[in-house]
Amino acid sequence: MAVLATKLHVPKPRPGLVARPRLRDRLDAPDVEAARLILVSAPAGSGKTTLLSQWFASRDATPRGSVAWVSVDGDDNDVRRFLAHVIAALRTTGADVGGDARAAMEAGGAAPVPFLLTSLVNDLDTVADPLVLVLDDYHEITAPEVHESLRFLLEHLPGRMRIAMTTRSDPPLPLARMRSTGAMVELRAADLRFTPDEAESLLNGVMGLGVSREHVDALGGRTEGWAAGLQLAALSIRGRADVGRFVDEFAGSHRFVLDYLIEEVLDRQPADVREFLLRTSVLGAMNASLCEAVTGRDDAREVLRALERDNVFVVALDDRREWWRYHHLFADTLRSRLRDADPGGTADLHRAAARWHAVRGALPEAIAHSAAAGDGERTADLVELALPGLRAHRRDDDIRRHVRALPDELVRARPLLAVFMAWSRLAEGDLDGVEAWLAETERRLAHPEDVDADLRTPLEAECAARDREIRQVPAMVAVYRACVAQARGDVPGTVAHARRALGLAGPDDHFPRGAAAGFLGLAAWASGDLPSAVDVFGEAVASLRAAGGIADALGATVVLADMWSGLGRPDESRRILERALHEAEGHPVPLSTTGDLHVALADVLREHGELTAAVAHMDAARDLGDAASLPENRHRLHLADAGILRARGDLGGALAAVDRAEAAYQPGFFPDRRPVPAVRARLRIAAGDLAAAEAWARTADIEVTDPPAHPAEFAQLTLARVRLAAYRAGAGSALNGVADMLDGIAAAAGAAGRTGSVIEARLLRALVLAAAGDDRAARETLAGALTAAVPAGHRRLFLDEGAPMEELLRRLVSAHHDEAAVARARRLLAAETPGDASSSTSGEGLSERELEVLRALATDLTGPQIAGRLYVSVNTLRTHSRHIFAKLGVNTRRAAVRRAAERGLL
Amino acid sequence: MTDPDVVYAIRVRGHLDAHRGAWLGDLVVTHNGDGTSTLVGPIADQAELHGLLARLRDLGIPLIACAPARGN
Repeated sequence: MAVLATKLHVPKPRPGLVARPRLRDRLDAPDVEAARLILVSAPAGSGKTTLLSQWFASRDATPRGSVAWVSVDGDDNDVRRFLAHVIAALRTTGADVGGDARAAMEAGGAAPVPFLLTSLVNDLDTVADPLVLVLDDYHEITAPEVHESLRFLLEHLPGRMRIAMTTRSDPPLPLARMRSTGAMVELRAADLRFTPDEAESLLNGVMGLGVSREHVDALGGRTEGWAAGLQLAALSIRGRADVGRFVDEFAGSHRFVLDYLIEEVLDRQPADVREFLLRTSVLGAMNASLCEAVTGRDDAREVLRALERDNVFVVALDDRREWWRYHHLFADTLRSRLRDADPGGTADLHRAAARWHAVRGALPEAIAHSAAAGDGERTADLVELALPGLRAHRRDDDIRRHVRALPDELVRARPLLAVFMAWSRLAEGDLDGVEAWLAETERRLAHPEDVDADLRTPLEAECAARDREIRQVPAMVAVYRACVAQARGDVPGTVAHARRALGLAGPDDHFPRGAAAGFLGLAAWASGDLPSAVDVFGEAVASLRAAGGIADALGATVVLADMWSGLGRPDESRRILERALHEAEGHPVPLSTTGDLHVALADVLREHGELTAAVAHMDAARDLGDAASLPENRHRLHLADAGILRARGDLGGALAAVDRAEAAYQPGFFPDRRPVPAVRARLRIAAGDLAAAEAWARTADIEVTDPPAHPAEFAQLTLARVRLAAYRAGAGSALNGVADMLDGIAAAAGAAGRTGSVIEARLLRALVLAAAGDDRAARETLAGALTAAVPAGHRRLFLDEGAPMEELLRRLVSAHHDEAAVARARRLLAAETPGDASSSTSGEGLSERELEVLRALATDLTGPQIAGRLYVSVNTLRTHSRHIFAKLGVNTRRAAVRRAAERGLL
Repeated sequence: MTDPDVVYAIRVRGHLDAHRGAWLGDLVVTHNGDGTSTLVGPIADQAELHGLLARLRDLGIPLIACAPARGN
């Protein structure tokens, strides 16, 4: 996220300020040390910022810690932007804080705010020196999320840190409570008002104007001690012979202080300087070059320096005195007068400012000035040029804001903007609204507007990125149509649009290629062609990765792993999941799919029989919570739970987990490999509740005579188990037709490459033969099933069949002639793989060292003090803390201590 | 909620220049004998009203009263 250095500049008090010891003493009082918040709440022009800058300058003599300064503006209503500037400001003090949060924000996407806040607070705990964070002009904030973040920071700040805030209106904090508990000290309008003595020292001491006490009191009364008013009055008096007359006239007038005095000050400037002030008032931050562009002068630097020297309300934004702005009271009045004097003249000024910013690549400023100039086409050009960069940083809200500010007909006329609107509708779930914008996009595609030639040279890279996006538009239109078709359950439509997208996309158009391949892969899966599905979907994952969408690529791996399991290859599922998880964990912040990867891997490990490792991954997924899981994947967690519980013999627990899976299931995203009702029927059989299982079979309306069909395969294989159980319970005719059904499934699945179903059909066929007493044929059939299954890592698929399967496996071991088959059967019969025990986490899983750190965290010691006692670096301490937090399932020091106390670890 | 375009009268301390009214919106500035000004103009909704009050605040203009104008 782009951080503006000028927003972090700690203003130095300018020369010629009145010392206000009574206010400084108030800020140096002992109760301020105990407070979390220093609130300076008073009207504009009261001298709030000046007061803080004077206070910090006075502290420099006696070092009392560092100052981090943020000049808050309206854009900080984006909470991530706000936090990015807070972190950047804190880092200007040399404190190594917010590194993880910053990395998370730079990784793109909407980093979860709770993660940003907790990691920042944890980092602040390691800062030894006192620190004041200044939020200047906090009244600019209206967004509730930013207020929430502020509340969190105030609650969790380490004791050595305080927040000082200047604002024109009180922030939405529990001020009365904070006041009464001493958590806040405040300075308000009455405190900041100049006393007669302070007015005297401004007018006569600092400005040396020689004003009589009577006139000083008259000015103080007329301005009500308002700092801006007194300052302007002083400027008006300077060099005037008839001070008395000025004061009398001013005091006798009812005119608003600012209007009266700014006119006085302007009238006293030379005509060319007055012109300079009025023309440059349209600018926000300005430097000499920009001022020259809008005024046509060539000596702006000298003018700006002279204005500063004469105290004419310019504020330096950096120490090198390159960037300036007008005091906002002054700027607003100038703009008002400028418009009054020449209502149409401001457009040219804005146009010049827009051009100056555009050729320097400052597109947001260029867009704002261009829009203010009323230049629609030029503004639309600039928005198109800004779009690729904003999208790469996932600043979708910024794009939306820019596009919505444009006149509707301009958006319609531009394919790049119209297709963005289509995407925007799609993201809002407005499927009907998408097509209108796509049609508009296509209608205009033949004649895309060209960017003005004067922007092409200075903005070469932006133009190239924009042209590339325009080339991709036809493919993206087809992708969005596939998306709508899929959301509506229209498989042929999805395939047709996805094919068209692939045909239209160039070899390097990774995003449309990846998205289209993803749709085709899912469609192939839905039709039962798993080998093609794996191929195409694998390409989709690779393209998404090439397009830079790591979270998308890793999330798609969950689906790809599902496909590999259908192919009878849990070993391959495990390999790609472990690789993806390794990559996801290398990310500074949990991705939106990290939890889903843990769950998918847990399910594969369960199939391998590595139950302890599976449980550890389930715990990891639970700790990450919903933020690390896509809504369409949430049911997988409960299905994996059910599998693990079943393997452990807890069938009641497994059934409850299946109920939870059913509640969380979102249909329509992926083919349903294991429909929940059939999973439940299998558990009922295992629990001996044959009646319930038979009831499922009647409801599901499937018969052994149904032809094998891919979507129903799982249910048909479930039906075979129902019949087996019925036969074992004494229903002699229950197995009629079952052998044929299983042979049919094995043949059909074998022909389509669905090896997973082939294995399952064969193992059930073996059980049917065994139940019928044909022991030899049963062993032969089982041996055949084991050939592919065991090397691929299948285990629970067999063992979940319980005693009949174990018996058959034992008979195979004792009586079979094929050494390889015997070895495979032995592997299934062996206890949990020995490697499994080592990966267990016993108890809380905290090491001795971590327990030692945990006990230190429970004290009042600061991070650096703890590090010192334990003879480790602060960084090592931070690593220990992070591990402890992860193991306790918390994310702050305070929560860790509480959790540890609850569990008796201290 | 406010009905569309209710006319508001906003009283502030000091006599404001007429250009302030135009700059703040389509407001007519009247100077009162007690040293206050009244800004009168149509306000579309609550959001516009709050925006206007914030701009007065940002100019350091002391607010005295704000009410729908009589005769609405």
